[in-house]
Parts: sequence; structure tokens; C-alpha cells
Amino acid sequence: MKLLKFGAVGALALGLASTAALAEYPERPINMVIPYGAGGATDISARTIAEPLGQAVGKPLVMANVTGAGGATGSVAVQNAKPDGYTMLFARVGSHSVNPAMKATLPYTLDDFRFVTVYEINPVACAVRPDSGIESMDDLIAKVNEGGVSFSSSGVGSLLHLAGVMVLREFGVENPLDAATHIPQKGGGEAATAVLNGTATFICTNSSALASFVANDQLKPILITTKEPVVGFDAPTAADLGKPNLHQLVGWTGIAGPKGLPDDVADKWGKWMAEAVDAGDFREKMESRGSVIELMSPEDANAFIKSQYETFRALVDDLGMRIEG
Amino acid sequence: MSLMDSILAGLSLVGNLESFLALFAGVVIGTIGGAIPGMSATMAVALTLPFTFAMQPITGILMLLGVYKGGIFGGSIPAILIKTPGTPASSATVLDGYPMAEKGEAGRALGMALWASCTADVISNLSLILFAGFLASFALNFGPPEFFTLILFSLTIIAGVSGRSLLRGAFSAMLGLLLATVGLDLIYGTNRFTFGNPNMMGGLNFIAVLIGLFAIPEILSMVWDPKGNDGTARKLGRNWVTWADYKASFRSIVRGSFIGVFLGSIPGIGAAPSAFLSYSEARRKSKNRDNFGKGEIEGVAAAEAGNNGVAGATLIPLLALGVPGDVITAIIIGAFMVHGLQPGPMMFIMNVDIIYGLFIGLIVSSVFLFFVGSAAIRGFRYVADIPRGVLVPGVLILCVYGVFAVNNNIFDVGVMFVMGWVGYLMMRNEIPAAPFLIAFILGPLLEDNFRQSMLMSGSNPLILFRGPITWFFWGLTAITVVAIVRAGYRATRQLRKREARAADAR
Repeated sequence: MKLLKFGAVGALALGLASTAALAEYPERPINMVIPYGAGGATDISARTIAEPLGQAVGKPLVMANVTGAGGATGSVAVQNAKPDGYTMLFARVGSHSVNPAMKATLPYTLDDFRFVTVYEINPVACAVRPDSGIESMDDLIAKVNEGGVSFSSSGVGSLLHLAGVMVLREFGVENPLDAATHIPQKGGGEAATAVLNGTATFICTNSSALASFVANDQLKPILITTKEPVVGFDAPTAADLGKPNLHQLVGWTGIAGPKGLPDDVADKWGKWMAEAVDAGDFREKMESRGSVIELMSPEDANAFIKSQYETFRALVDDLGMRIEG
Repeated sequence: MSLMDSILAGLSLVGNLESFLALFAGVVIGTIGGAIPGMSATMAVALTLPFTFAMQPITGILMLLGVYKGGIFGGSIPAILIKTPGTPASSATVLDGYPMAEKGEAGRALGMALWASCTADVISNLSLILFAGFLASFALNFGPPEFFTLILFSLTIIAGVSGRSLLRGAFSAMLGLLLATVGLDLIYGTNRFTFGNPNMMGGLNFIAVLIGLFAIPEILSMVWDPKGNDGTARKLGRNWVTWADYKASFRSIVRGSFIGVFLGSIPGIGAAPSAFLSYSEARRKSKNRDNFGKGEIEGVAAAEAGNNGVAGATLIPLLALGVPGDVITAIIIGAFMVHGLQPGPMMFIMNVDIIYGLFIGLIVSSVFLFFVGSAAIRGFRYVADIPRGVLVPGVLILCVYGVFAVNNNIFDVGVMFVMGWVGYLMMRNEIPAAPFLIAFILGPLLEDNFRQSMLMSGSNPLILFRGPITWFFWGLTAITVVAIVRAGYRATRQLRKREARAADAR
């Protein structure tokens, strides 16, 4: 009883202290964790928004790459941080919808985070080697039914892994896990290389990761998952092919805090982001790299991620892909 | 456009003060970053990256390349002076560099490291410029089965760096292999030896293991026996590398450079294995073989040629294929993307000015490296004169700071200290650390490529013999293993003979 009272008083005091601190949030620099390595898509996106965002916030943003385990290491660092808005995470499709959907062993769930925004959408494209004789999705599916088709990914539980399976499934392959071989690689660059050197037949990943290979005629795109076509990718969209379910299959970057992040902090982030995406040449820079800038409010971001997670989770459960060990 | 036009276009792009200043600044930043234990070349490049966003594309990329090259050389400075590789690539330099420093020949070792680095750098850059297309298409023939055989062959290095006892070397390698299995399984995505700790899911941090294995044992033994090293000459002294030294090691330097070029042009291996391979090849071929590991200057030369030979060559897959060869070029490719450049075959047509601008910059960087390196050696030489009682705590602080900063993770610091005790126990029992490191780097590569091959073939092992490249490496592996066994057999027989003679004499 005494302990309970003590705890209650302590919690109250903590609550008071945090509200007091929040009165003038932010009063000190904010730590921004990037759960992926320098030079990667998340890192570049994060550092591009950091400049206009820092001006909107008015306090410095301290960017730190905490890498490992497909984004889990950095995510855990933020999950365990105080929800005071001074430790925030650049969340990504891999770490916050594919991973939670696929891995039972993940030390966090979506409920451990509160999203304040999603600001960038990356269309997903599928590509093959130009000399593979595969010209379209139909060709690919025909090959899959013959057997011997494989696809590469940046690791088990990555967007690329799920994307390969989901695309095949949508195009009528009953059990993609048996029909095609998944060959995981150590990273996104390695995954693209695997298709280049013939280790794997096809790859589905963010269009920005494939843009240079497509521009150089090293890879041939055969599908884009968005409604709108992507500049530089001469391939039909999922809408063209009548597969609207695939529109869910997109990459994104957003910002999240630990669960329990107060409403006023989330609101402030919403305002800052609105300012930041329209400042300077941010939009122009991001779009030239193949991203679609689509700013979501905290509520929209949570709903968007939740629905993507559920789509992925349903697919994973359906095929028994969930990793339990 | 003719070659001359291309060169002129490149020159007009880089022929300004800004580009050269950026390149120079890059080399300086890299050399200093590489020289600070724990702050590897990779981290120096990662930290510089955001600053290049606002620059002209070519200026920014040149700066990053400068940091890269400076960092790979800079790592040899602490490797030689305080037995702490500043960057993983300079681990092999420790083997002979540190014993030389102990003998009071730090200046000679550092000088040789610089000369070998610059020579290898030039060879590597020239290979990039002349053979980029050829090497890139060759590298594309490397699928998982070819990688598997290449790495299998590379594992024979362990015999070359085991020192006197192959058994102890093998034990060390086993330990390295075991610890390398920690983390997520590549094929199934399941946890291996993580004990439910999220910090272990990413595997043990390489820098933490490296620093723990090399630097911390020295610190511990200093604590164990604070007066043990009093009175030993550890001055940089007046000794400097001579032309005769350079000439004597020249064959090893060239061999190391080409090993570096070869391994660098194949994406996915990196500079550390190249340095070790170059070292072990030099040892095998050298007349002074017995002196290797005890302070042989040729060992320093071979190791440094091996790692700097990679630096220019990793740009081959990057520029010709748009594929990053290692962690550092993965960061540099980010810089290309930020500026809207798309490395690959088309870049040689669309942005030929940038390509040739980079080539010109690379050649100049070797010259800058020579001068910055000489200055850095002069600057850092005083480290050798600092009393150990002051130096060692300073090194410890740098190590803790550096290992923390790699991933902003305090757990890694714990890994470093645990590995430090492991390394100390190994040192006390005369178990060499180098095989551990090689196994730690190559073990996961071997496993992943083996399993990827099996996935490709549906578990048919014949895929491991699928073409001339695999046969070549199988052959090399067989020859090397036979040579190792024969050498071991001979050494034992000689030992027996000597013992018998000694017994007769008695």
C-alpha cells in the first residue's frame, strides 16, 4: 500500500515535472535517431529534412545513426527513451511496418511508438535484367510457374522480402514461398547487385534505389506499385494492371517518438513539419531523387502505418511467413 | 569526344582552388580521423558526408575520397605507435609495426607505411583509370559460389599470421568464428546467441571487437605491471625509412597493391582482408620470413600496400556498375545520389567530365597523401615519447569515446571491455589475435555465401564448382593447404632432429 502510494506520488511528481518542462518545449537540442547507416535512403532523407526542420524547430537537431539488425537497434534506443520529445526516431517502412509484421522476436511493436508525421512516400518498383527475356509481369509469372525463379532482398523481414512475395501473390501465384526462391543479401546495394550478376531473377524495392540502374540500362523495370507512373521508369503501374491492392506496397519515412509522447508535442511536430516541407528547395531535392512528398498529420500518419501494417500482417499470417525463433 | 577532350573537360571541372582545397582538407580530416583510435575511416567519411551536401558535386565527392584515402593511411599511425588499429584495415599493420615501435624504430615503420601506402595508392588509381571497365565486368562474374571459394582461399591466411603455433592460431580463429555467429541469421532472420538482448541482435560491433582485442590488452597488461616497460627505448628517434628499405620491400608492395586492386574491384570484401592476404603472401615469399611478426619492415610495407591498394579500386564497382564495394563506398554513393548523379556505365557517357575530374582528383590525392602523411608522422611522433603512464589512460579514454561514438551505444563499450579481457587472456597464453580477427571478418561472409549458393542451386553442392573462377580458387586453396601441411611437417622434423642432436650431445 505504502509502495503504491509512493509510486502514485512519484508518478504525479514526474508528470508535473514533465508538464513543466513541456511548457516551453523545445528548450534544448533534440536528439534524432536514424536507425540506418550513413548514405542510405533513410539517412539522406533525414538529413535533407533536418535543415529546414531545424529552422522550424528553432533548436538544433542532433542527428545520430544507430544502426544494426535492420533498424531494430536504433528503434529500441528510442522505444526506451523518455517520452519527452527530446529523443525522436526517423522511422521507416522496414523498421516500422514490415519488421513488426514479420518478426515475432522483435523487441518492440507499433504500439511502443507514437508517430508525429510521415513526410515521404517511395514508390516500389520491380526490375529484372534486360537480357533475362522477361518483358512484363506476365512473363515473370510464366517463368515462376516453370520454376527456378528467385528474388533478392536486403535481408529477412525487409521491405524487399515482403514486396517480392506480395507482388507474386497479387499476380496469382498461390504460394510464392515455394514457387520462387528468396535469396537474402546483406543490404540494399548487395540485393541489386545480386540481380545484376544473375544470382537472382528479380528484385522489388524502392524506385529511388533502382533509379540509377534503370537510367543506366542495367536493369529493366516491369512494375510500379503506385497509381501514378514514376519519372524515368518505363513500366506499367499497379493501377494499369488492375492490382489496386499493391498501392499499399510503398516505402515511407516518418518521425516517431516513444509511446506516451504528449499531445502538445505531437501537435508541435505537425506544425514544424508543415513549415519544413515547404521551406527552401526541400521538395525539389527530394522529388529529384524519386520520392513523393506527402505530408501527413500525426493522426493520418498513425492510421496510414496501421493500415499498411495490417495488410502486411494478413499476408504474412496467410503464408505462414512469421519468424518466431 | 576524344580522350584529350575528356581530360580537358575533367580538368576544367576540377581545375579550381576550391576542388583542390576540398581534396586537401579531406585528406587531412581523414588522416587525423584515421589516427584517432576508435574513429575509423568509415566514421570519418560518415561525419564528413553531411557537410558535402551543400558543395558542388565534384568538390564534395573529392573531399569524401580524400577522407577515405587519408583515413586508410591514418589508421596505420596508432597501429604502429600504440598497437591500436585506427581503422580495421590497418589491423595487419599492427603485426610488425608495433614490434618495430617497441624496438625504437617507429619512425622507420611509419615512413615505410607512408611510402607503401602512396605507392599502392598510385597503382590502385591507375588500375581504376585504365582497367575500370574490364575489372568491373570481371567482378560481375562473382556470384555467391565464386565468393565462397575466394573466401575459403582467404581463410588460409590464418596459417600465415598464426605465428609459431598453428594450433594456437586455429584456436583463435575458432573463437572468432564463434563470436561472429552472434546476431540475426541471414537466411531465416532468427536470433542467434542474442540471449534476448536487443543490443546483440545486430551482432557484436566490429570496431568494439577490434579495439577490445588489440588496445585493451595492452592497457590491462600495463595496469598489471606498471613498471614493466620502464627504461625500454621507445623513441621515434632519428631513424627514417631508407631507399634501400623501400627497394627491398618493393616486390611486396607491388604484389600487395595488386591484391588490393583485385579484392577492391570485387564488391563486398573490403580493405582488412586484403591487407592480411598481402601480408601473408609477403611472408610466404620473403627471405626474412622468420622475422615476420617480430618487427619486419617488409611486413609493414605489405600490409599497408594491401589496404591502400583497395582504396582506388573500390571505386571501380562504384563508378562502372553503381554498386558499393564496401561500407565506405556505400556512404560515398550516397553523396552521388544527393547530387542527383547516377553512377554506372551511362555516367561514362553522360557525365564524362565528372568521371575524368574524379580521375584527376584521385591522382592528385596520392600526392597530397604523401605530404599530409609526412606532416602527420612528424606531428604524431611525439606520441612515442609520451611516458606510458600518461599515454595509456589517454588511449583508454579515446577508445571508450570512439567505440561509443560508432553507434552511440553504451553496450558497445561493454563489448569492448569484455573483448579486452578475452584479448588479454589470449595474450598471456600467447594466442595470436590476428586469426581471431580474420575469422571474425571472413567467417560470416563464408557462411552467407555458402548458404546463398545452396539457395540458388536448391542445395546441390555442384554449384560450388560451376565455372573457371571457382576451379581457380579451389586449386589455389588446395595448393596452399598442401604447402602449409608440408611446411609444418618439415618444421616438426627439423625440431625432432635438433632435439635428437641435442640429446646426442648430452
